[in-house]
Amino acid sequence: MSEIKSMEHATLKVPYEVINKKFRVAQKSVDREVDQIQNYSKEVEKALMHRPVISDVSKLVGNVVQRLQVLKRKSDEAIGDELNASFICKRKLEHLKEIVQRDSNTSEEVWQASIDQWKRVRMDRMVIEHLLRMGYYETAERLANYSDIRHLTNLDIFHTSREVEEDLAAHKTTKCILWCLDNKSKLRKINSNIEFDLRVQEFVELIRKNQRTEAVVHARKYFPAFEKTQIKEICECMALLAYQPDTTIEPYRSLFDINRWNNLVLKFRNENYRLFQLSAQSLLSIAVQAGLSSLKTPHCYSFNCKNLNCPVCQEDFNRIAKTLPYSHCVQSRLICRITGLPLNEHNLPMMLPNGQIFGQLAIPEITKENGTVLCPITNTKFTNPKIEKVFVM
Amino acid sequence: MTSNTPAAELEAITAVEKELDRVINKFSEIRENAAAEINDVASLLEELLQVLARAEQEMTGTINTGTQVDADDHMTDEAEMLVEMEPSTPRLTDSQISIITEALQKTNEKLQRLSSEHRELHGAVSKVGKVIDRNFISDFTATTRTDALQDEENIMLLNKVMAKHYCRQGMDDVAQLLIKESKMPEDMAREVFESERSFAEIFRIWKAIQQHDLSLALEWTSRYSNELIAKNSTLEFKLHRLAFLQIISKGISAQAEAIAYARNNFHKFIDRFEQEIPNLMGCFIYLPTGIENSPYKHLISPEMWTEASYIFLKDACHTLGISKNSALSVVINAGCTALPALLNIKQVMQSRQVLNIWSGRDELPIEIDLDPEYRYHSIFACPILRQQTTEDNPPKKLTCGHVISNDALHKLSNGHILKCPYCPVEQNAEEAVRIYF
Repeated sequence: MSEIKSMEHATLKVPYEVINKKFRVAQKSVDREVDQIQNYSKEVEKALMHRPVISDVSKLVGNVVQRLQVLKRKSDEAIGDELNASFICKRKLEHLKEIVQRDSNTSEEVWQASIDQWKRVRMDRMVIEHLLRMGYYETAERLANYSDIRHLTNLDIFHTSREVEEDLAAHKTTKCILWCLDNKSKLRKINSNIEFDLRVQEFVELIRKNQRTEAVVHARKYFPAFEKTQIKEICECMALLAYQPDTTIEPYRSLFDINRWNNLVLKFRNENYRLFQLSAQSLLSIAVQAGLSSLKTPHCYSFNCKNLNCPVCQEDFNRIAKTLPYSHCVQSRLICRITGLPLNEHNLPMMLPNGQIFGQLAIPEITKENGTVLCPITNTKFTNPKIEKVFVM
Repeated sequence: MTSNTPAAELEAITAVEKELDRVINKFSEIRENAAAEINDVASLLEELLQVLARAEQEMTGTINTGTQVDADDHMTDEAEMLVEMEPSTPRLTDSQISIITEALQKTNEKLQRLSSEHRELHGAVSKVGKVIDRNFISDFTATTRTDALQDEENIMLLNKVMAKHYCRQGMDDVAQLLIKESKMPEDMAREVFESERSFAEIFRIWKAIQQHDLSLALEWTSRYSNELIAKNSTLEFKLHRLAFLQIISKGISAQAEAIAYARNNFHKFIDRFEQEIPNLMGCFIYLPTGIENSPYKHLISPEMWTEASYIFLKDACHTLGISKNSALSVVINAGCTALPALLNIKQVMQSRQVLNIWSGRDELPIEIDLDPEYRYHSIFACPILRQQTTEDNPPKKLTCGHVISNDALHKLSNGHILKCPYCPVEQNAEEAVRIYF
């Protein structure tokens, strides 16, 4: 397994889901128009049954021709949409291909530089995806424009979800309901009950406004569809009719809770990921956790062994990594804390009298002219100390 | 990454590409096909309309001039009467009716076929999805602790790290927006902008090189010329080379300018780049026909700029002694190396049904082979017990100089007597000293 295969599923799957959706939309639109034409031609046929007047028939046939033009325009548009969606997917595929296919003419340094650049773009892509999941849309947008990688992100797809979220945050359900209708079959497939939650919220809001009759009408209209699965919730909901919004009795108090709107936003976001088969966590947070673990050593948490270049030693990551597992190591790898060079046969590990180990090459750096040696870790001074070789297998 | 399993990666991409191309072809085909077919039936019907219009005209004409209408043998009496009663409304003949019916039938058949042809594409479309699912991994469960990046505090810390990363790259406004949108506490936000300042200049210059602007970079390298030479960096020469090529690619009119530039700037590189400079001067031969048509065309390829910016970033950071990578990028790149390995081991563990040892462990189940530049700490793994030493089980140096862990020392010693596992020396176990890497 390798990096592309492990990490780029969503890069391709999300645009694929869009192709799939455009396909269904196109099919529906073609079928609808074909049906229309059939209806119009049936009218012609009906007219033909009784020795019709030419001009009448001409008019009816003219209608068919007109509908044909509509079909032509609509099918062209719809198939164009399918093609565009496919090209978006293709472009992402091309981007992934860049990094696995090396042109044999490129020199090592040029190749390294392009890998570096590609990884930079990958990181921006991951950050943007994470920002979108967190609902930081402006930042995501700005970053995509800055790095000129909009075509490699799912920004446009998340544009709708942004509108829905803003609508929900403003305590409105219209857009989210439309979204539910738009994705009805898929939502049913993933067993989503978000539409029910929205209907409940609408019901609650009617009661909050003391429009209890309207609430009953609303319930009558929408709740029966969910009878089979949500009967318990429906009963709880109906009981609200008897309570005031400021009630302290559970579960009615929670149903009236204004925070339910925020939960709806989160729920919507979650369902949207499921719709696109995105994992529950962003790739960024998965990679950050894996990365922190593979860098984390006990030294990062000891008082005097920190390395300023080590991300896990830096305060922010240090706190995030606290509960994560340490890296695993069966083979010693030793690095001199003064020079940063590896300790090996060219740079033998040497021990000061206090047990601190440094590379042979670092000893001159900590030895003063008069022969005193200063341990940079403990700040202890040694005069002409015995510095011993250490053997590490 | 590419050296590991480029074949498998390429295979996965090619598999998806093949299916996607097929879908694209089919869409294009059906788009053309649909337009043609619809045009076909539309023009058929339009023709029919014209015929009808003509017939109507003729018939009205005949009626008005009083010619017999019953020329048509099939006309019924009733119709005859109607025609006579309403001479201005000509009616269709049976053969005309059957022509129209036929045309409509043909239209409907064609459209039905069109719709079902489109429906048949479904197989090809969903194949793309299946190939993606088969070749790429979407399930990351069990490779992470779900709790690590869920709680508010850690989420905010990650926001801060991201803000720092973009601040470092001169994208202050991205950082600023993130702070605003994530409602980051003020003290955290302040910290973002205080850190990472020293890197900002390097980054600005790096960006300028990528936009083919060398002035800032040349100014910087002349400032640090001695340090760069001490580190045996090729940066300064490569920048001057690019500047020279930038002039020379303007064509024959820039010849004098290019010669002057070479004379002024290349002399100090003569020792170190004996081979390169004659090559560059060779460009003058091809000036009239254009470098792009010469054996030197590789010198003006866009990759030269990518390379220069890369070397600048590397050497400038090395010179200033700062990390060329932000904490976030180090962690993410390490994570990208680690994930494939973790997913792999997960598969193995799952197949042997030992997944439960994953959680609750305080160490990853395997060693991740990171780039040496990502190794910040010494790790001592006891050669006897094959595990990392810790505070509870620290490394000890035996009197002979060999290092083993404290636990191993206790296991190997017989009372106070310990024979070193690596050399013949027998010693008192108490004399081993705790050491620190």
